Amino acid sequence: MASISLTIKLSEHLENFMSTEATIRNYILENYLFTEDQSALDSADSFLDKGILDSTGILEVIYFLEDEFGIKVEDTEMVPENLDSVNNIVAFIGRKRQ
Amino acid sequence: MQATLVNRFRESVAKHPDSLAVADSRQRVSYQVLSDLVGKVSHYLMSSGLQKGDRVAMVVANSAEYAGIFYGIWSAGGVTVALNTQAKAKDIINWVTHSDAKWLFMDRRHPEYKGVYEAGGEFTLIDVGGDDTGESDNINVDWQRIVDLEPANPRMLPGRSDLASIIYTSGTTGNPKGVTLSHGNLCANIESILAYLELRAEDSILNVLPFYYSYGNSILHTHLAIGGSMILQNSLLYPHRVMEKMSEEAVSGFSGVPSTFALLLSRVNIGDYDLSKLRYITQAGGPLAPALADRLSTALPHTELFIMYGQTEASARLTYLPPGMLEKKRGSIGIAIPNTTIEVRNKTDEVTAPGETGEICASGENIMQGYWKDQERTDQVLKDGWLYTGDLAHTDADGYLYIDGRSSDMIKSGANRISPKEIEEVIQELEDVHEVAVIGSPDEMLGEIIKAFVVLKQGSELKKRNIQRHCKNNLAIYKIPKSIAFIEELPKTASGKIKRFLLK
Repeated sequence: MASISLTIKLSEHLENFMSTEATIRNYILENYLFTEDQSALDSADSFLDKGILDSTGILEVIYFLEDEFGIKVEDTEMVPENLDSVNNIVAFIGRKRQ
Repeated sequence: MQATLVNRFRESVAKHPDSLAVADSRQRVSYQVLSDLVGKVSHYLMSSGLQKGDRVAMVVANSAEYAGIFYGIWSAGGVTVALNTQAKAKDIINWVTHSDAKWLFMDRRHPEYKGVYEAGGEFTLIDVGGDDTGESDNINVDWQRIVDLEPANPRMLPGRSDLASIIYTSGTTGNPKGVTLSHGNLCANIESILAYLELRAEDSILNVLPFYYSYGNSILHTHLAIGGSMILQNSLLYPHRVMEKMSEEAVSGFSGVPSTFALLLSRVNIGDYDLSKLRYITQAGGPLAPALADRLSTALPHTELFIMYGQTEASARLTYLPPGMLEKKRGSIGIAIPNTTIEVRNKTDEVTAPGETGEICASGENIMQGYWKDQERTDQVLKDGWLYTGDLAHTDADGYLYIDGRSSDMIKSGANRISPKEIEEVIQELEDVHEVAVIGSPDEMLGEIIKAFVVLKQGSELKKRNIQRHCKNNLAIYKIPKSIAFIEELPKTASGKIKRFLLK
């Protein structure tokens, strides 16, 4: 029983992770790269280094995350470790939800 | 010895060799080390055949290298052409060609480097900060080759009447607009700024403004002329980090455009940081909402706030509002800086009465030589030694200036001045577009955002996203329209001119 429940939890977790990642990826692709082509963005790409976002872009992303995922991004959390790539954002949302 | 910025920098090196000149994300560089780098760049250019007055272009982000290359070009007798680091390869090539630059310094890690390298041209490309691959040929010189050189003494120090810099501003691809400034222009303006800001060698600034624009350019030169220190932070993406750095480095100065302060105040509680050493803040690059100025003054009661106004055509600065007058002259851009004369003139070229709107005109040693290779455009703005700024303003009874608007269609978004025509030309390239008009639409954060009105050809199903993607591929990121409206037809005058004011 325990192993079945763990498997279900893990798959739920994976589904959550996948949908969070897809939501964020699609938002960035649609609004900053203006395309549906998934290959245009690697989830590890740095928004800063690749010139994907400028300083107002990052604020828009924060407002999007707050709306979409019902979280509050504190000023002190506005650091590249949390926000500078799709992967970083997914991990950040995961931590916020815990 | 003539008073030039090169000579003032040399004096700073002699007086403060061990003081911090520039700190960037990778290094902290003293005046002596910066001077050595200047000598190396100068050595390379002189040995590569640079003749006095030759143009040398650079696409380099704010860094110690930027300062070293800039002063290295001057020390070798060259003219700097510092280009916008957000520009696309085709614009970079366009400006390099237009200025006849024979050298281009550019970071190999720049996303447009490959495009520039492949396009090539009549110039030598120098990798700044690129890896040492050991491969150097005529079109590709490694930075390491320059770093390994002995610093050279300047061969022919420029005089005040010599051309110093070309700064490309808001032109279009087909019609670039290069402001030409002499060493006299720049030095005069820098000395005026030093006088009213009362900058000293002990001053240090946290700088977020790009050096390739005239505001950032003035920060670079004021500090190197006085022996001050610059702490560089190249992105405002993370405002919290900027504030931490300001506190950590105990800087005495900070400069921004209105969007810098709007951004900081929206996400940061300034009171949380120790900014007790912050002596002054400067603001230029568009009107700062009085409410934002109030918030800054309240958050930083011991810091002087200088509201300023200027143009690249005036080297940088034209007016400033003395901090003591902030309350009394709310919303004013102040008075003329030392050694500059300002008049507000009406359409018949008479000085206006207080309260009456006219065009800001300026004279002084800081006024540019003209636009590079463009006499017609030069004659439109330089008349009898006066610069006609295109900005509309009025004075009050005490002679303080208040901006009323602009007489041109130029868009001001964040720190950028953008020609709507340039964006219209790019959108018009799309086959499905019948007509397009671009305007600046008011925005709380950026002052203005770019809005495009597009008339599609019949039957076209072109989406907003297709237009923005085409702009992204062909324009710098800050020139992509945030807003796109599809309309049936553009409002026009009887002669066919677009009535932009109806779109606003």
